[in-house]
Parts: sequence; structure tokens; C-alpha cells
Amino acid sequence: MARFLFVRIMQSVATVAVAVVLIFISIRLLPGNPALARFGQHAVPERVTDAMSSQGWDRPIWVQLLDLPGELLQGDLGVSFFHGDSVAERLLETIPATLELSLAAIVFAIPMGIGAGVASALWRGSWPDYVAMTLALVGVSVPVFFLGICLMTIFTNMPTSGRVAPTMISQFHTDFFLFEAIFTGRFHLAVDALRHLLLPATALATIPAAVISRITRSSMLEVFSSDYLRTAKAKGASLWRIVWRHALPNASVPIVNIAGFQVGMLLSGAVLTETVFNWPGLGRYLVTAVREQDYAVVQGAALVIAVMFVTANLILDLTYLWLDPRIRTET
Amino acid sequence: MRSLLCCLILSMLVGCGAPPPPSNILIYGRGDDADRLDPIQTDIGESVKVMCNIYDTLVTFDDETLDLVPSLAESWTTSDDGLEWTFKLREGVTFHDGTPLDADAVVFSLERLTKPDHPYVFDPVIPYAQSFEAIESVTAVDPLTVKIRLKRPTAAFLTTMSMFPSSIVSPTAVKKYEVEFWKHPVGTGPFKFDSWNVNQQLTLLSFDDHWRGRPEIDGVIFLPVGESAVRVKQLLRGEIDIADNLPPAEIDSLDEKPGVVVQEKEGMNVAYLTMNNDKAPLDDQRIREAIWYAIDRDQLIESAYSGHATKAKTLVPPTLWGSHAEMEDREYNPEKAKQLLAEAAADGVPTPVKVQLFVMTDPRPYMQQPRQTAIFIKDSLAKVGIETEIVTNENSQHFRRMTRGEHQLGLAGWSADMPDPDNFLYTLLDPDNINDVGGNNMSRYRSQKVHDLLAAAKTEMDHDKRVELYHQAQEQIFADAPLLPLVHTSVRNVQNQAVTGYLLHPSSLTRLRLTKLKR
Repeated sequence: MARFLFVRIMQSVATVAVAVVLIFISIRLLPGNPALARFGQHAVPERVTDAMSSQGWDRPIWVQLLDLPGELLQGDLGVSFFHGDSVAERLLETIPATLELSLAAIVFAIPMGIGAGVASALWRGSWPDYVAMTLALVGVSVPVFFLGICLMTIFTNMPTSGRVAPTMISQFHTDFFLFEAIFTGRFHLAVDALRHLLLPATALATIPAAVISRITRSSMLEVFSSDYLRTAKAKGASLWRIVWRHALPNASVPIVNIAGFQVGMLLSGAVLTETVFNWPGLGRYLVTAVREQDYAVVQGAALVIAVMFVTANLILDLTYLWLDPRIRTET
Repeated sequence: MRSLLCCLILSMLVGCGAPPPPSNILIYGRGDDADRLDPIQTDIGESVKVMCNIYDTLVTFDDETLDLVPSLAESWTTSDDGLEWTFKLREGVTFHDGTPLDADAVVFSLERLTKPDHPYVFDPVIPYAQSFEAIESVTAVDPLTVKIRLKRPTAAFLTTMSMFPSSIVSPTAVKKYEVEFWKHPVGTGPFKFDSWNVNQQLTLLSFDDHWRGRPEIDGVIFLPVGESAVRVKQLLRGEIDIADNLPPAEIDSLDEKPGVVVQEKEGMNVAYLTMNNDKAPLDDQRIREAIWYAIDRDQLIESAYSGHATKAKTLVPPTLWGSHAEMEDREYNPEKAKQLLAEAAADGVPTPVKVQLFVMTDPRPYMQQPRQTAIFIKDSLAKVGIETEIVTNENSQHFRRMTRGEHQLGLAGWSADMPDPDNFLYTLLDPDNINDVGGNNMSRYRSQKVHDLLAAAKTEMDHDKRVELYHQAQEQIFADAPLLPLVHTSVRNVQNQAVTGYLLHPSSLTRLRLTKLKR
């Protein structure tokens, strides 16, 4: 077990390292450079050259890459060349927004996905099955951007952007708006934050919910055809007991697998959702930084996203171990 | 806990509706956030929108026109040789932090702009430093008098002093916040900085003690909303009061909606077709003229600008003094174009003429639909026998490649930094501005005569003589046809009908002092 954990952690570290190096190289291979982006239309050739050399960006990429481990080991994510502020500080401000949004999306996606999958397996071939699977097909096919605009059009009394009403923002002292409002008992703020969260979280939850429902359906159908379930039925167990006590736990490994993977994927979905709904999170910060070719920000944000993704997968693997004793024995 | 959750969900589901915006705070929806709010450190339009409400300059524009009027300086005089400018400051003006405005504050602000080694300059990037390089020294004569000495007579100097980089900042605040001053801007303007949640919102509150009186509204919240479709929805729902920078088609459809007001004003910009004078076949003047005759700009305005632009025959917009309105034009004449091409062919220019047209991916204020414009030009040129290949590049790449002279034809344009013909003609057509990094003479036009005229106009202090020099330069440019001026785009703004008093300014500055709200 300890060996398994050690190997998985080392694999995770290696994955993060590869991701960071790939991002490091690809952002530098983009046409243009940060100095030109920052100086804009008033770029004076000498200034651009000076900035590139003072930052060391005129050296070969592999030479620049050699500096990276030292900087990261010191915990130094650097300063945004475009905005001039600390990347670490800005990341700490944006991560809570993304976490709240992702968490809300998980809270929507998992019960919705499992519920729809179970219903469709139970009533296979009848209208609940068709409805659930059609919705799932639409869910995986519609781009988040389009879905976001559709939701705004349908729910005309829901806010379309930001985390709270503009005039309320000064009443928050942390960046975890919803949690802060609930824990400090200021429910009018919590309601406002929830209302702002509802549409983006729904948009973000749609794809994972659709994927989870399809996997749940097929996994449940497989379990339904097994002998022990026929025995349970023969013994007169209630439908509720059959589903929750016997079928679902046994169908859960692939569901947890896909659900865990989708949680990791939520972060990439969050990039688009945050842009449409103006959600001031990590994804939007990264998109802006790529546009501005702000090397330090892109690297910092990519590092955080890679760590979050890998951590989600690690937790998933540990959950497997807990769920399925057979895997435990194998390891 | 369960009942609490139920309450929360219930109150959400019953759709109590969006809380009404506070009655007297303006919500301004725009495409992007500001970058830094230190006037010397940025040239980003979204920052300027905020800063021109926080800071004042010594001189400024009239509320509705481009005429220069006193601001923090009550009056000014110039020495006979044009080298010394003396500004008399307004009495009793204070910064938002209570610091009184005096000559030392002006010296402090302008020295930060002109001396990169100034102890309170924290970032070597001063985008507009070049525009102020003529300033030799700034001295305080007495607490309310400032003297600026120039290295050479500079005709556009006073106009330059109305530009946002020369905003007067509170020395107390700069010394207090030091490297973080850009996050805590303090000026003497009609609004004072309140808070900034990056990428969420930026809040300004009215300054009670502003020397022109407190603004009518209590404040303004700038919301960065990246998607224009979302800004439209927010405006229609009353979530925002002003939606700026919307695509023309969106504005056209909003114009018909009840409760929405669209303002329109002639802008200070130009869109043009740059022709690389260094590259065959565009090094042949007949080919350049043929292209000019081949394109029907009136039709282009209808198809790519939905009618909201004026035809250009020179780079200088008609709203700006010095624009040569009486100059002749090459009206649309495809037959004439074919004739010129035939003449060129007879002299050995290979036919059919084949050219590449460089096009940017994203719209610019002067080029709202680059793709449509490019297709229009391609079709027009095809009708006279010129084959065009469209080459599309992402915006920064597009301009980079064109400054290096890689193009033959290319879509380009310019929005004025300051209202002076120099900013169009010298910047875009003087041989001084041909270089591979950031040189704006992308047509690579080299005319000694035009260079001499523009250089003379730079130092000529007599306004009428300057006008004459610019007219002569424009006539020569027209004769040489180094590029084809296409259109001057209108500036349009969309707002809720509750907003009154907000005047679109031809300089494109977003000045909210006179804005009122009637909810």
C-alpha cells in the first residue's frame, strides 16, 4: 500500500513536471513576445530589445528552462510582466472563485448524472430512458459557450455575470464568497452569491452530468443482468433496496472512475465557462495571460491547474482502493 | 440546517428577481479590465477610460469639441521663441487624499514622465515618453506657477499636455504606495478611486470637493464583461447602464429596442489599405492608382460598416483641423483602373497582376469587420483584373509582419493619440517611421518633400501656417498615392435610457462627470 502510494505520488510529480515544461516551451514558441504585448503600439525597438534581454528572454529556450526548477523550488512564481503584480497573490485570489464554481458543478453533476443513469437503466426502452439519453447526448455535444448564452436567454431573471451584485462585493473579506456568506450568517449575501453561481455551475455541470449518466446507465444494465440481482429480486427485495443496496455499489467502480476524471476535466471546462459568465477565476486569468503572452502568469496558472488535475486523479485512485478490495489486494 | 437550506433554495427558485441596481451609481459594462492606473505606465484604452475620470491635466478638451480649454492650469503664456511655457495653476484645488495641488506636484508628475531615472518611477516602461521628449525641464516658479522649457519649439506641445500621460498625480500618494501606486491612484479628478477587484469590478466614487463641483452621480462601477453578446443581454435586463465596444450589427439591432439609446459621433480615426511601396508591382504608381480607382468606398461603407462611417480621401479625419477637405479625390472608376493597368502592362508589369492582401483576425475600432472588408476589396480588384490572395493573421502577428514589410496590400488603420494632424501624417507616412519593430509607416513611403513639410509643421508655431503645411503635405501624398485611405469610422455608444448627460467625445475619452441617472 505504502509502495503504491509512493509510486503514484512520484508519477503525479512527474506528470506535473512534464506539463509545466511543455507549457514553458509552447508559450515561448508563440509568435510575438511579452515585451511587444506590454509596450503595445508605442513599442520602441530598443525598449523591446532591452526588456527581452533584461528578463533573459532572448536566450535559447533550453537555457531559460534551466532556471525554472530553481525558481519553482524557491516557491517563486514571479511577477506578471504585463500587470506588475505578484502571480502567487493573484492566483490565491482567483483559485477560490474557481473552487466554488467547480464544487457547485460537482454538486449538480454527480447526483444529476447518477440519477438520470439509474432512471434510464431501470426504465430501459421507455420514455424516461429516451429523455435522459437524449439530454445526455445534447449535454456532451453542445459547446459550453453556446449553452451559457442559451441559459442566459431562458432564465431571464438570473444574473449573467460576476460572483455577486456589483454593489455587494465590498461586503466580503475573503475570496470564498459563498462560504463566507453562509458561515457568517449573512443570508441575503448567500442568496445573491447562489443566484450568481446557478447558471455558470449548470453550464459547467452539463458535460460531466451527461457523461456520468451514460456510464451509470450501461454499468447498471450490466449489473441488472447478473445472477445475484435475480436472486435478490426472487427473494422479494424492494426496488429501492435492489438499486441502492445491491446494484449501485457494484456498478460504482466505473462510475467513480469517470466521475473522478470529469472532476479533473471540470477545470478545463471552467476556462470557457468563466469567460462566458465573467467569472473571475483561474481559467479567465489564464486566458487573459495567454493573450498578453505573460510568461510568468501562464506558467503559474498552468502549474496550479496541473497540480489540481493530478491531485484529483490521485484521490480518485485512492477512492478505488477503498471501494474495491480486489484492487487493494493486487497492489 | 435542512430547513435553512430549503429556505435558501426556495428563495432562489421563486425568482425574487435581480436586486435593483443602486439608484445613483452608474454601471459601465466594457470588454476588458484596466491594466495599471498610473498614467505614465500604460497605454491600454481600458485604463485610460478609468484614469481620465480620476485625474486632471493642466489643459483639457472642451466638453463637446476638441478645443483646448483650461483645467488645472487657469492660464498659460509662451515665450516668443516658443521654448518656454508658463502655466498659472488654479487656486484651492486638492487631491482626493487632501494634498493641496501646487507647482511642486506638477513638477513631480511631469518629471516622472520625462525622467526615466526619477526616484519615483518604478517601471521602465513609459509608453508615451516619446511624445514628451521635447520637454527639457519643468520648474516651480512659485507655489502656483510652473515653467516648462522645451528643447525645441513644438507646435503640438499644448495638445500633448492634454493627453492622459501628463495627468497630475498626488506626490503624497506616490510616496506612500511607491511601487503599488498604480493600484491606489490619487488625482484631482471628478471621481476618486474606491476599490478594484481585478477582473471583477473597479469602483470609483464621486469626489465632493472637485473644483468643477461634485458629479451628479454617486459613483461608477466598471464591469469587465468579455463577451459582447453578454453585455447586450445585461443592458437589455438593466444590469448595466452603458455597454461599450459592441460590434456594429449588435448596435444596429439594439437601436430599435425600447429603452435603449444609441449615440453616434464622427470619430478621430482612419482605416486604410496599406500598399507596400517597396514591393512589385506596388512600386509602380499606376498600379497603386488603379487600386484606388477600383474600390467603391461608398459601397464599402454600406456593406462593411452598415453605413456608419464617412469616406476618406486623406488620412486626417474631417473632424480634425488641418484635414484637407477641398482636395480632389479619385472617385470610383473601374474603367480608369483597367486603363492604368493596361499602361503598366505595356511597360512590362507582368499580367494578370497578382497581389497578397494581409488581413487581421479581430476587429479594430476603425476596422469593425476585417473579413468582409477584405472580401469586398478582393471582389472589387477582381473586376478590374487584379487577382488577390487573402492572407489572414492574428492581430499582433498581422501588424508585426506588416511593419517588417512582408505584405503587398494590407488592412490597417489608426485611432488618434492626440488631436493633431502630426499624429496621423508623421506617424503613418514619414520615412522616420519605417523600421522592423513598431514602425508605423507600413507602406514604406519615402518622400523627402513630405518629410520636409511634416518636419517644418512640427516646429511651426503659427497655426495658419501649420494648416498650410499640412495641406501641402496631403496634396503631395495624394499625388503619390502611397496608400488608399478607406473610411473614418463613427464612434457609437449604447446606453440605457436612464442615462443622460453622457456626451460621446470626438477624442473617444470616456468622461463621466456630467452623466446623470434617472431611474
